[in-house]
Amino acid sequence: MKKKKASELLFNALNHTVFVGITLIVLVPLLLVVLSSFKTPEQIAQGYHLSLPAPFSLDNYKEVFKNGNVLTGFKNSMLLVLGTITINVILSSMVAYSLSRFEFKLKKVYFFLFSFSMLIPSFIAEITRFGIIGRLGIYDTLLAPMVIYISTDILQIYVYKQFIDQIPYSLDESARIDGCSYFKIYWKVIFPLILPATATLIILKSVDVLNDMFTPYLYMPSAANATLTTMLMNYVGRSGSWAKLSAAIVIVMLPTVIMYLIFKKKILSGIVAGAVKE
Amino acid sequence: MKDKTQRSILLACFLAIPTILLFVFVLYPGFKLALISFTDWDGINPNYNYVGLKNYTQVFQRKDIWQSLKNNNLYFMLHLLFIPIEMYLAMLLDRYIKKSEFFKTIVFMPYIINGVAIAYMFSFLYSSEDGVLNGLLALGHIGKIRWLSDPKIVNYSLVVVSLWRFTGVHIILFLAGLQSINKDMLEAALIDGASVFQQFIKIIIPNMKSILSIVLFLNVRGALMVFDIPFVMTSGGPGTSSTTFALHTVKTAFEFSNFGLACAMAIVLIIAIIVISVVQGLVLEPEKFKGKLDKIKGLVKKEKLKVEEVIEKEGERLEEEKSKRVTV
Repeated sequence: MKKKKASELLFNALNHTVFVGITLIVLVPLLLVVLSSFKTPEQIAQGYHLSLPAPFSLDNYKEVFKNGNVLTGFKNSMLLVLGTITINVILSSMVAYSLSRFEFKLKKVYFFLFSFSMLIPSFIAEITRFGIIGRLGIYDTLLAPMVIYISTDILQIYVYKQFIDQIPYSLDESARIDGCSYFKIYWKVIFPLILPATATLIILKSVDVLNDMFTPYLYMPSAANATLTTMLMNYVGRSGSWAKLSAAIVIVMLPTVIMYLIFKKKILSGIVAGAVKE
Repeated sequence: MKDKTQRSILLACFLAIPTILLFVFVLYPGFKLALISFTDWDGINPNYNYVGLKNYTQVFQRKDIWQSLKNNNLYFMLHLLFIPIEMYLAMLLDRYIKKSEFFKTIVFMPYIINGVAIAYMFSFLYSSEDGVLNGLLALGHIGKIRWLSDPKIVNYSLVVVSLWRFTGVHIILFLAGLQSINKDMLEAALIDGASVFQQFIKIIIPNMKSILSIVLFLNVRGALMVFDIPFVMTSGGPGTSSTTFALHTVKTAFEFSNFGLACAMAIVLIIAIIVISVVQGLVLEPEKFKGKLDKIKGLVKKEKLKVEEVIEKEGERLEEEKSKRVTV
């Protein structure tokens, strides 16, 4: 009996060691960058990367804020996120409502087109989308990535539709008897009921937009239109030292990490659901 | 009637903008990809010629394209090797780890962090000057390794970044699958004295088939579409030693101005993804597929019956004519 307990203890200790190891694999690289961002280039050249920064200096951050275009990047990223999620929530909930509540000709065709377009990888489609954006005259404006984010987000319509399908149709009917128009049903009955889904979708979409690299890189090359991510890409060549670059890396990582720590549950469940649905 | 007009107006209003966006930014570009893949367009010149299937034969003949596919394959293979480990870790997390919430948060975090920032973070680790890994090697008096500039090593270095980023998602997916397994079954097995390993083989794996195939297909699709890690860290170099198929496609268009070939590569990639998705559908929902197949079989049978009927009738008619002739 005692022996079994000992082996159990050993088993438990082993398992926890494995996970402590994994935690280190995840955190040590991040920690290295954070530590380096407070060091001087000379200190980094000495090696001993896990040593504490001495002297502790904020110079790297000051430098990045001064020369790295950080505030512009932050502003553009925020505008992009706000614009995208607002329009996206309105449009995809309207499409989902129409698909869930009404029968119409071409509905099947519509579904097919949506499912088909989910199969085209985004960065590949840019090869021909590039010309269209140019001809529309929105190249190098925030509108270019925004329309792409909105028009390619078909998963959101699916998620909304599933939510609306679960809302009993009797609610619509009684609202109809009370004299509500279809628009009013959408706006006063359906939309408030799908707010929980909206919250999750907004969070996931914000993370996507903040982390996206290729769309802003391709369509907004000018420095004034840099997002946080492309700001970092522009800064790499000019940074001159790993110390400064580390500070820039930390700045770019922070927004989504903070979002993750606040909305962990929603992000985890949302991404699992998304992966399973696809 | 009034109801119906209201409905049509609402549908028109609600669907107009999304439909236009879908056509302009997704379907038309997709159609254009297919069209240009049969031409020699260079991206600038307004004139181009149709060259038939030349671009497609090139996709399958060019060495650099095969090389890039080989690089994709390394991502696939190493992620595949990690799947049993991921499953096992998910099981530990589900049953044997205290503070599993904390570990869950940590394990998933790399997936959420900005990919470009991660790429540069690893560039710092791999750097041959002041880099962290070479610093460690120097402590052990081992010479420097050119992690990102040695053509034989670079692709492995990049796959490690991919593993660091995506292993956690797979663990979380497996964990979600585990949590949907009936706990009584595991309890019963435990009472019967099944070891952890036996539980794993006999109960967990058979009950996780659908999650397992989802992760497998995510892996295939993910490996085919690897783009941002090599794009940011090495831009495919040195030479083509870390170029992936998707990166090669984008470079062929925007760097080498060979839009015809790039579009053909894009179409091949899209077809590959469609085939993979269909196969996934067959694996995950064989009933649905069987239903469709039965329907098709039914139709074929009906047609066959019709044809047989016609033949029979025709035969009868001939017989009749024959007998008539005989009597005459």
